[in-house]
Amino acid sequence: MNSKLINYSWQFGLFILLSLVIIGTYFYAPLAKGLGEYTRVMYFHVPAAWVTVVAFFMGAFYSFMYLRKRDLLFDFYAEAASQLGIIFCILATITGALWAKESWGAYWNWDPRQTSIFILLLIYGAYFSLRSAIEQNETKARLSAVYSLLAFITVPFFIFIIPRIYESLHPDPLVNTEGKLKMNAKMLTVFLSSLGGFTIVFFWLMHLKKTFIQLSIKLQKLTDQEN
Amino acid sequence: MPDVYIVLGINLIVWAGIFGYLVSLHSKISKLKSKIDERLSQK
Amino acid sequence: MHNSFTIFLKDIRQELRSKAALNSILLFAIVTLTAISFSIGSFALNTDILAAMLWIIILFSALSGFSHVFLKEEESRTADTLKLIASPNDIFWGKLLFNLVLLLLVLFIIVPLFIAVFNFDVKNPGMFIITIALGAIGLSAGGTIVAAIIAKASSRGALFSVLAFPILLPVIILGITITRIAFKKTEIVLFIPEIQALAAYCVIVVTAAALLFEYIWND
Repeated sequence: MNSKLINYSWQFGLFILLSLVIIGTYFYAPLAKGLGEYTRVMYFHVPAAWVTVVAFFMGAFYSFMYLRKRDLLFDFYAEAASQLGIIFCILATITGALWAKESWGAYWNWDPRQTSIFILLLIYGAYFSLRSAIEQNETKARLSAVYSLLAFITVPFFIFIIPRIYESLHPDPLVNTEGKLKMNAKMLTVFLSSLGGFTIVFFWLMHLKKTFIQLSIKLQKLTDQEN
Repeated sequence: MPDVYIVLGINLIVWAGIFGYLVSLHSKISKLKSKIDERLSQK
Repeated sequence: MHNSFTIFLKDIRQELRSKAALNSILLFAIVTLTAISFSIGSFALNTDILAAMLWIIILFSALSGFSHVFLKEEESRTADTLKLIASPNDIFWGKLLFNLVLLLLVLFIIVPLFIAVFNFDVKNPGMFIITIALGAIGLSAGGTIVAAIIAKASSRGALFSVLAFPILLPVIILGITITRIAFKKTEIVLFIPEIQALAAYCVIVVTAAALLFEYIWND
């Protein structure tokens, strides 16, 4: 009972944090010059993109763990992280496209960031199509783990090199090429809280996914015992 | 339409996506739990 | 290292007998080149577009040729014999070398043909040749490892391009960027940041592929 209470108290804290982020987005943070109301998109579009990268990282980590330990549990975790990654990737893509329509005039124009996120979508798509093409569990785990790691080492090229080669229209307040922060303190507070909140939400979802996987395995074992 | 409503709309898409996923995961987990309990009580 | 060279020679000898991979990859490249040349006719094209087209031809010819390299071992059931006589490392390097030589051979024919057909001058041949060579290394490293994955997966064919495309895309994007510069400017500085990035890509992907190959090959 006690642990359950602790469980709920951190969720309550997260709820307060995210509510503050939403309030801060609309009433506290000032608007950036030239972006107008669309500054506010930054406080949830960028964290969604960030979580995509975190999920991708976690997927590669679990893939690596699978190759080391050869425990199918890690393969299920890698799959779960990738599923979460693709959800956040789609969210970031959609919000980015809507935002682009309003401020650049077109939903899609192959801006480096759009290219990068699209490539992440392609990688996730390839990963899941590889998984669905293989029937045997161990082979599936092994090959998709290798592919995930292979994709993982090529991603830095997209995220860091390609945006620097092409000129970007993207407002780039967090990590720009000059390494300067263009946000003021108020904006930064809301932005970083949002980033933190989204990261916690991701790990919460990941925890739920893990619970789900463990429960399914348990159920599978029970069914096997009966038969 | 004022810009702020469009921003609000985009914001809602994100939260609806995350919240919807959270709720569906929770319901899946509780379904599994009840199934396991059922199996255990049968024994 | 000696073993990997033996495997390479075995593949070359097999290739000289059947010429299956070389024929398919070379003819594919020529067909694509002809298709582009036909549809454009006698218009003089901007070198920016030509650079992109050249890399598209290179990418798809590479994709059409690479998928066979491990598949033929699985199909002729020689994969297990190969597993007995050589370590995964040797096999990987042998196959990579074979793919690289195959691609370089095709590029040696197709690139001059491309320049002749579209009738333009390369302003900076040194940079152009370095780019093509580095690109060939990157494409064959990424292609070889994905081909190994595909050979072990039960479904074949279309999946190869789907899996290889995101892995090989940095080569294409960097290749196009550098080729555009090489077509237009006679710069004295040869090792521009893009070439460094391409070289870094080659080193990283070759290393990663060599490390990961063992996990694919041993069931």
